[in-house]
Amino acid sequence: MSKTKKGLFEGVVSFNKQIGERFYRLGLRFKGEAGKAFAGLVPGQFAEFDISTAGLPACGEIPDDLRDSARRELLLRRPFSFCNVEIDGDEVEVEILYCVVGAGTIRMTTLAAGDIISVVGPLGNGFSVPESKSTALLVVGGMGAPPILHLAKVLKEKHPEIETVGFVGAKSAVDFPLEEIQGQSKDALKSMSDFELNGVTWQVASDEGDIGHKGFVTEKLEEWLGSCDAQKDTIIIYSCGPAGMLRNTAAIAERHGVDCQVSMEQMMACGIGLCQSCAIECKGDGGTEYKLCCKDGPVFDSRDVVFKV
Amino acid sequence: MSDAVDISVEFAGLKLANPVFTVSGTCGYGDELSDFMDVGSLGGFVTKSITAEPRKGNATPRIVETDAGMLNAIGLANIGLEKFIEEKIGVLEKLKTSVFVNVAGQAIEEYVQVTEKLASEKAISGIELNISCPNVKKGGISFGTDPALILEITSAVKKACGNKVLMVKLTPTVTDISVTARAAVEGGADALSLVNTFTAMSIDIETGKAVLANKTGGLSGPAIKPIAVYLVNKVYNEVAKDAGIPILGMGGIRTASDAIEFMIAGASAVGVGTANFIEPGCAVKIIEGIKGYCRRKGTGKVSDLVGTLG
Ligand SMILES: Cc1cc2nc3c(=O)[nH]c(=O)nc-3n(C[C@H](O)[C@H](O)[C@H](O)COP(=O)(O)OP(=O)(O)OC[C@H]3O[C@@H](n4cnc5c(N)ncnc54)[C@H](O)[C@@H]3O)c2cc1C
Ligand SMILES: Cc1cc2nc3c(=O)[nH]c(=O)nc-3n(C[C@H](O)[C@H](O)[C@H](O)COP(=O)(O)O)c2cc1C
Ligand code: FES
Repeated sequence: MSKTKKGLFEGVVSFNKQIGERFYRLGLRFKGEAGKAFAGLVPGQFAEFDISTAGLPACGEIPDDLRDSARRELLLRRPFSFCNVEIDGDEVEVEILYCVVGAGTIRMTTLAAGDIISVVGPLGNGFSVPESKSTALLVVGGMGAPPILHLAKVLKEKHPEIETVGFVGAKSAVDFPLEEIQGQSKDALKSMSDFELNGVTWQVASDEGDIGHKGFVTEKLEEWLGSCDAQKDTIIIYSCGPAGMLRNTAAIAERHGVDCQVSMEQMMACGIGLCQSCAIECKGDGGTEYKLCCKDGPVFDSRDVVFKV
Repeated sequence: MSDAVDISVEFAGLKLANPVFTVSGTCGYGDELSDFMDVGSLGGFVTKSITAEPRKGNATPRIVETDAGMLNAIGLANIGLEKFIEEKIGVLEKLKTSVFVNVAGQAIEEYVQVTEKLASEKAISGIELNISCPNVKKGGISFGTDPALILEITSAVKKACGNKVLMVKLTPTVTDISVTARAAVEGGADALSLVNTFTAMSIDIETGKAVLANKTGGLSGPAIKPIAVYLVNKVYNEVAKDAGIPILGMGGIRTASDAIEFMIAGASAVGVGTANFIEPGCAVKIIEGIKGYCRRKGTGKVSDLVGTLG
């Protein structure tokens, strides 16, 4: 997968669609140089969005728990990864999947088709596909879905020879940022143990058990690895989600001797290696060292990362 | 109105193409911004703080956004003097702008040792002394708040810096910044830069804990601009003007208008910090904007703006 030069670009919003109580999908179109840059976007790469120009929703539409934080002045850009990239002639449409959690994302909900927003990207290192692999296991926790969904699609298109199996988990059914789940009735959810998306079958787990396996998604992963008889060095795990889930995934990968790439998150002020805010503790010569999530990551080999308990 | 505007400035004996710098800790070691701008078009460039040994820096979270500002507690994470000279001097040499290396330390000897090594590097025009660091030998009190220590450290580093320009970066977290500015000038500073960040705190009310792992951090960005403008004006009037010492003014600058405020207040040059994170390359727009302002106002030389507060 190739990587293109980053830059400061403007994108035009093509849609901003609510898909769940707190989840939205936002489409952005890029032309010219911006289009060229984003056409080469690798799954796992991200961009920094300036949403300070977007307005707040009408007072009554702001959820109670976000009233206070919604009043904050935005200064910094916000980092988001991508769940899809479509190339359409000399235009490129990228899509992000976001969860409304604070001052910035509440403003994002007011973006409408035709609005222009400033984007710095594409940034960081995405997932890579080593040649020796014939099986890819995709492991998603909650809001970790976007880059892994993108990866699933790219694997199907560019590496059809690789068998790809998906695992997705969240606290409960409402916490899956996926239309395939958000649109379903309670009964339908109860009986759903897997579903198809981007050419991959995804096994489902939820902590509360109102959808799929009751328990951690990593238990499904472990079960799969335990019962497979493929050579372990032909398997690779790709994962994105909360820190605890990534730690468990990394431990499972280690136990089974399987390669694993994880996409990490850290508070970021710049996204381009200027501020040193996004440190991720990694194993170094004889001890540990900090690497930058924005520049050295966000995708890391799980063996390099020191996961905090 | 004449169209020809001279935006070059003289700064402590250096001839700068324009008054705009990018400042320490916000623009990397040299080439990090090059995808967004021609770093060589800057008037000056100040590197991230360098210490004698590499430093890992603080635990995370290292930053948090606040209203119109941000707090940072990076903890002087840097690659250390040796690696800096090995890997970064070559990059800086090619920049075609005046480069200042920001030097930090835990003891006066460390500042002197780092400065001595850098003094022989052709790529460097000056040293910026970051005195907002705790003095480990004196129970962790910041060098930058004690005038006697400022005098001592400035004179010691002055002796070590050969023909390089010595700029002392003042901390704003003091009762009277003119007292600390005077101490730096007496110690032999060729220029002053101000302000560094303001010590501040942000609390997560759900956990009842400070948001930053370090608990406190430095406040930067637009939130501090009016205070920074005031402090620059104060130091200009009370110290720098009579001493003939130029000021590099900074604190919340995002636009040419912000920069011009600092120049009117008394800054000979201006520094862009936090704004690099939000709009990398904005320094180039600021240079153009300053030119446009001078043209509109009929100011033939940008330096004629300095200290003109009416
Ligand atoms: C590389 C990367 C990729 C990301 N991809 C996505 C994505 O595809 N979809 C998505 O919904 N979110 C994604 N995030 C998280 C997203 O950046 C934050 O949710 C967003 O910045 C919150 O902004 P806010 O102003 O609404 O929240 P704030 O009011 O700033 O904060 C609200 C909450 O969000 C957390 N938060 C703020 N900034 C970050 C950050 N940089 N990383 C993690 N948590 C943060 C805060 O700790 C706080 O709990 C990604 C983050 C990173 C670093
Ligand atoms: C993330 C960050 C890191 C910084 N690191 C340093 C540093 O290493 N040394 C230093 O002297 N100043 C450092 N500063 C202070 C800036 O150089 C500048 O003085 C301050 O941020 C005010 O300007 P601004 O509001 O334009 O950012 C840092 C500031 C930020 C935001
Ligand atoms: S976010 Fe600034 S260095 Fe990574």
